[in-house]
Amino acid sequence: MKQKLFCFFILFSLFLFSHSFAGPADDIIKKVEENLNGKTAVMTISMDVKTKRAKRTMKMDSYSIGNKKSFIKILYPGKDKGITFLKIDNTMWQYVPRIEKTIKIPASMMLQSWMGSDFTNDDLVRESSITEDYTSNFLEETESGYKVELLPNEDAAVVWGKIIMEISKEYYLPTTVHYFDEDDILIRELIYTDVQPFGERFYPTTWLMLPKEKDKEGHETIVEISNAVFDGDVSESYFTKRALKRYSD
Amino acid sequence: MFKTTFKIAWASLVRRRTRSVLLILMIAVSLWGLLFMEGIYDGMTEQMINNAIRSDSGHLSLFGEGYRLDPDLSKWVMDIDALDTFLASDTRVKSHVMRLKQDGLVATAHYSRGVAIFGVNLDEEEKHGKMAGYLHRGEFSFGKRDRGAIIGFKLAEKLQVRIGSKIILSAQDSQGEVSAAALKVIGILKTNNMSLDENAVFMSGKRMRKLLTAKDGVSQIAVILYDELNIPELQGDLKKEFPHLDVQRWDELYPALLQSRIMMEGFNLVTNLLIFCVAALGIFGVMLVSVLERLREFGIMLAIGTRFSQVSTIIFTESFCLGFIGFCLGSLIGFVTLYYFKINGLDLSVFSDAFEEFGMDAVTYAIIRPSYFIMALAAVFLATFFSVLFPLRILKKTKPIDAINTI
Amino acid sequence: MFLKLALRNIAAYKKRTIVTLLLTTITTGLLVFSTAWMDGSHQTMIKNAVEIYPGHIQITGKDFREKPSFDNLIFEAAIIQEKLSQIDGINYFASRFESFVLFSADEKAVGGMLTGIEPEQEKYLSRLASSLLKGEYLTQGDTNQVYIGHEFAKRLKIDLGDEVAFVGNGADYSFAADNLTVKGIFQTGLYGFDAGSAFIAKKYFDQIMAAENYATHFIVLPKRTEKAEELAVEISRVIGPDYQSASWNQIMADLVKAMQLDSLFGYITLGVIFIVIFFVIMIYTLLTVFARIHEIGILRAIGTTPQQILAMLLLESSLLALISVIIGGLIGGYFAYYFQLNPIVFSGYEEQFKQYGLAVSAMPTAFAPLVIFRDMLVMFVLSVLSTLYPIIKINQYRPVEAMRHV
Repeated sequence: MKQKLFCFFILFSLFLFSHSFAGPADDIIKKVEENLNGKTAVMTISMDVKTKRAKRTMKMDSYSIGNKKSFIKILYPGKDKGITFLKIDNTMWQYVPRIEKTIKIPASMMLQSWMGSDFTNDDLVRESSITEDYTSNFLEETESGYKVELLPNEDAAVVWGKIIMEISKEYYLPTTVHYFDEDDILIRELIYTDVQPFGERFYPTTWLMLPKEKDKEGHETIVEISNAVFDGDVSESYFTKRALKRYSD
Repeated sequence: MFKTTFKIAWASLVRRRTRSVLLILMIAVSLWGLLFMEGIYDGMTEQMINNAIRSDSGHLSLFGEGYRLDPDLSKWVMDIDALDTFLASDTRVKSHVMRLKQDGLVATAHYSRGVAIFGVNLDEEEKHGKMAGYLHRGEFSFGKRDRGAIIGFKLAEKLQVRIGSKIILSAQDSQGEVSAAALKVIGILKTNNMSLDENAVFMSGKRMRKLLTAKDGVSQIAVILYDELNIPELQGDLKKEFPHLDVQRWDELYPALLQSRIMMEGFNLVTNLLIFCVAALGIFGVMLVSVLERLREFGIMLAIGTRFSQVSTIIFTESFCLGFIGFCLGSLIGFVTLYYFKINGLDLSVFSDAFEEFGMDAVTYAIIRPSYFIMALAAVFLATFFSVLFPLRILKKTKPIDAINTI
Repeated sequence: MFLKLALRNIAAYKKRTIVTLLLTTITTGLLVFSTAWMDGSHQTMIKNAVEIYPGHIQITGKDFREKPSFDNLIFEAAIIQEKLSQIDGINYFASRFESFVLFSADEKAVGGMLTGIEPEQEKYLSRLASSLLKGEYLTQGDTNQVYIGHEFAKRLKIDLGDEVAFVGNGADYSFAADNLTVKGIFQTGLYGFDAGSAFIAKKYFDQIMAAENYATHFIVLPKRTEKAEELAVEISRVIGPDYQSASWNQIMADLVKAMQLDSLFGYITLGVIFIVIFFVIMIYTLLTVFARIHEIGILRAIGTTPQQILAMLLLESSLLALISVIIGGLIGGYFAYYFQLNPIVFSGYEEQFKQYGLAVSAMPTAFAPLVIFRDMLVMFVLSVLSTLYPIIKINQYRPVEAMRHV
């Protein structure tokens, strides 16, 4: 807790500074983040994972409140149907109906790839927030968008050395995100497309993740989002350990 | 009387100069070889043990009950104050340090690996086990604001990180949640304690406490004593005083090291025996021949009334003289050699690149123990004594008259 | 002429002959035996390490050893199987599928290796079956029955007949999970292995893990284990470049290096012993040669050249060395052979060894004729060399001096 308070403190001081130094990037990023994360979100996600040798599709329902709590239930393939995940803050549980067991995923498994995709458990779990963890620098403005450089704050527990995000002016949503390591080598690229309206909100419904490391050549993960409802009421009952089993079938 | 005996003995040694010199050389060389081996091998094992003691186990380590089987935060040692007072006031204890340890994960943009995270106080560790001596690259520091980490050199290789690289550590905190911190690599350690070199990330204890939201308690207290002999006694006392703690000796934590020490002792003993058996054979040959050659001479001595005991004293004296000179010479060269390697170290890495792989220091500093010389002296004494017995028996069996008549 | 003379002299100076013979024989025997012992104990340790689990030859996907991910599996196990069965030098082989999964008996999860094995063949490939502590080893048709390491069972707090669940990724990255019943508990003595491994029959494993026709490894036991390296190359050729076939000395490069290190120390020790022996032989030669100083003086006086004397003496010592090296080699060889068949057992240390994770207490010697021959040659050269100084020295005496020498 103390640590978090400390982070806020630093953030706050950075915030004060940023007004006088950086361009309008902070405001842009803040807007983008608000647009990506609603207060609550309910959606159906379909995920295609392509590797050199195979392609696999999964479908799941996702319920979330902010980026602190989320509940995921797998719908497809049939073999995995009913497997549920619960994430509260930084902790993740998994329920597997076949063994009727709830298992807490240990920290050491967190950075493994999530269901073989190019996302890691950590991508899903970590409450990293761009405005909290990064300092933004405005790079350039084009007709259709902005290019912003995000550099991690000294204390931020993020592995990236730098992120470059391109943002569309029309929706204030990201279009491409490039992740670099500390030596400025591109590690992965995330492309958001197919922006669609959901209620009052516009949301990119196709996410394409392309790992750029050599041994992952030919890999890609496509996430497609449908039936999204933002900022509606989501029952708190999803975010208890009992829910894992209860909503499994 | 003895002076005369000595003179006669000496004279006969001088008469067969080449032979005597060769024999002395042989004893000296075998002694030198033995001392060299013992000193270097012992140095090697002790260095390995010392590395483990300095970098991890101490002479004694205290853990919470059941911690070693299930290294969970809930099993940490809690009543630190009482322990601290006890250890600080115990005159047998040279120093003690408290460490935090939690298994976690270290990640960079490219790699992630399971590691053991240690929360330590560098000043205390330096006082305790001279940890700064293990620094391979970088600085022995956690940086100005405790944002730094010191990691094992093998881990650094595997993660492909350099001094200044950022690493993300995550571990389960006291609430069972995963918390993470970003640290900069400030130092890289090479302890030659393999488990540390491959898996350890050292960070500031204070900061680790925050990371784990663990207000008090420690996972391990390592104790170094003034005298190794007091270890079992202090272990007993600590067990009595703190019955709910798990008190382990270094050799219980690193049984393989104790084993190599025992094996080394056994090995040294066998080589000792072997070499002295061969050396005794050499002495035996020389003494036998020199007695046989002089059968006539001794016969005459016995015939003119010299007592057999006097003759045998001469022979013994000859043998001991050879042995003793050989011993002195061998000890001297041996000591000088060992002393040289004690100061400068012996770099055996040219023969094999396996040293690094195996948690051994490439440069070995010899050890010199008085026991080597005492053992060697005893061995030389025994060898010279027993090698004379048979020639004397022959001499005794020979009648003086026959002896005089043989050419 | 020289040979006759030399033989006659050898026969005439019995004492010298006997002592030199004895000494050289004993030291040769000693050298032969200690080399056999050293090699034997190293081979035993390596053999143990190899045979407990890793196997003599491992076949994996091309990049699997560097990056053990599901992208680098053997995807055509049947084809490999087919190809392996056609190779001559193979005694047994079987596939394995290793995967890192979470085991859980209560809510707390512990990571460990779950490996699908072919129990019948595996018996010959590793010591898994013979390391049974209690319960039973697996059979081909077993379903959700697990064969688990003793220390691992302890960590999970389970025993025979208890249930343990696991969750992991199938080979297609789908979720794999099942409840397993403990059928048997094993202890190999390797702590790390016993504290983190569990095995189930591969047939059943393949269904759960979606690993049909997949494998992470093929393990091969050669008919002649000493030919593992050649066989691995041969296998590589047959199975093609998409796979890697490595013999134990590549798989366990660390251990091989450790043994080299140990040999280095062994040779240093032997070196020291040799120096001592060298001196002893020199002393004995000196003694015997000087005992004959009169004779040599007379020989010189009647016109024998120093070269001739040198040749004669050298021939004598060479003959003696030859005889004793042969006898010593035979004796040392016999002991090496005997203790290979009847290994030396550290019975008193057995418990200690086990406790410390050293799985062996019996150390057979290595009987290798070629090595014995090498040692004999070394000893021969050494003993002839050591006679040089006294022989040359005596030749420097002038005939008159020699005859008068006392």
